[in-house]
Amino acid sequence: MIRLQNVTKVYEGGTVAARDVDLDIQRGEFVFLVGPSGSGKSTLIRLMLRQEPITRGTIWVAGKDITTLPRWKIPFLRRSIGTVFQDFKLLPNKTVAENVAFALEVLGRPRSVIRPQVDQVLDLVGLADKGARYPKQLSGGEQQRVSVARAFVNRPPILLADEPTGNLDPATSVGIMKLLDRINRTGTTIVMATHDHAIVDAMQRRVVAIDHGAVIRDDRSGRYESAMRATTELPVVDGLDAQAEYEELAAAVEAREMAEDSEE
Amino acid sequence: MSRLAFLAREAFINLRRNALVVTGAVLAVFISLSLAFGALVLNELLRINTLAWQEGTHVVAFLNDPDQGGLDPAGQRALMTEVEQWEQVLAIRYVDKAEAFVEFQTLFSDRPDFVESIDPSILPASYRIELTDIDLYRDVVFQLRTLPAVRDVRSFGEQIDQLSSLSTVLNVLGLGLALVLGGSAVILIANTIRMAIYARRDEVSIMKLVGASNWFIRVPFVLEGLIEGMLGAGLAVLTVWVASQNLQGVGDSIQLLRFNIEDAFFLRWGILLVLFGAAAGVLGSFVGLSKYLREAESKPAAA
Repeated sequence: MIRLQNVTKVYEGGTVAARDVDLDIQRGEFVFLVGPSGSGKSTLIRLMLRQEPITRGTIWVAGKDITTLPRWKIPFLRRSIGTVFQDFKLLPNKTVAENVAFALEVLGRPRSVIRPQVDQVLDLVGLADKGARYPKQLSGGEQQRVSVARAFVNRPPILLADEPTGNLDPATSVGIMKLLDRINRTGTTIVMATHDHAIVDAMQRRVVAIDHGAVIRDDRSGRYESAMRATTELPVVDGLDAQAEYEELAAAVEAREMAEDSEE
Repeated sequence: MSRLAFLAREAFINLRRNALVVTGAVLAVFISLSLAFGALVLNELLRINTLAWQEGTHVVAFLNDPDQGGLDPAGQRALMTEVEQWEQVLAIRYVDKAEAFVEFQTLFSDRPDFVESIDPSILPASYRIELTDIDLYRDVVFQLRTLPAVRDVRSFGEQIDQLSSLSTVLNVLGLGLALVLGGSAVILIANTIRMAIYARRDEVSIMKLVGASNWFIRVPFVLEGLIEGMLGAGLAVLTVWVASQNLQGVGDSIQLLRFNIEDAFFLRWGILLVLFGAAAGVLGSFVGLSKYLREAESKPAAA
């Protein structure tokens, strides 16, 4: 689904953000890109979106070489990729429903199609009753749910998420991860950059560790710490049990949701 | 079709939701174009008044009395027919002694003693001549002076010359002012709209991220610029027109000046100005947006 071959990105001033990266991501995979801040995770996401030109190498997305894609075709690429970011990137002057609908409007879908699809996806992310609100009227977690809804509303084959839980508290993060997990189960390939240990360890999915722009480990079913510990000297926090922490949080969230459901 | 409807709806929604920024842009167009249009109207007033001042008698030829070697009234009328044939002469009027005295009486109506002391027979008959082109007054004065029947020739040539020069200078100044203000208007409008777009540059980045093409992002912004430009220009035309109508009311009490500009002038320039405002709005949006579209192409969006 996504293939990076010898991908190198050097910024002005000589900073190497990606160094001969080779990566092959299959359809339906859920891949975590992990690594410390400045390791190059976000750069890889931006390169896959053609937000930045590549210095060397080739990136194929859905069988197409996007490094040679003419400028006018970039919007078409982006329409086949859903994106979720740490800072939500919602249009402040549009309501929740309009933000989600915008991804379908750019595709030229008629309103008769857009409305039910937006309602459906807002229902999926648990915001069916907040379609008329503006982003600033929502909590951070709710805003991120809108962002996920917008990314998924046109059922893209790929969803790229750059630190989607970076601005959220652990409980809210679990909710977002459950959403992404559900989306992944529909067959959508998900690539997520994060440095959230608990989430990576709890999800037990493929982990690609990046450091100084290079892939230093690629575990098919990995944990954050093991991936990093193999080649870097990050301090290990004594007594950290990420799996237990995640399960505890997930249970708490589920209990809260069940309580809310029964109240309704 | 549904896309175009969506983009038009987007433009109107944006106008409503960004009311403050939109008001700023409309005011910028309104103020700058009011000044430019005001300068044009002043120029038109100047033209009208210059023409008015140039109307009427340009040359007066006083005639010799018959006892001073001049012609009798019948001869004077015959000579007038001759002079009337000159190509420089648009109209000629014969003023006999009696009419000259009536004029004199009117002119000095506030000094009856002086009027009574004057013997009407000393006032000469005259020709009052209006020229086809006031610049030709020297030729006509010269030709009239060669006629034995003519005692003296007076012309308003010098005053008219001065008036013409002044009028030309003022016209150039007025047009220059209108041009400078018009040019400033374009820059001001373009800049205001650019600022409005700058305030929403993150939106442009986000739209690009979702896969919107450049034209899809551009159309609502350009429509907004078009509407802001037309609205501001329309208000400017309306304001200057209302001001001119009020001025006309004041002008009725001032005999010397004319303030009655034809409606056709306002219609012609009004339409041009609204089109100008629309074009400036579109241009401002287009240019302003291009920068952020390019930036969004190569930089990550910042929200």
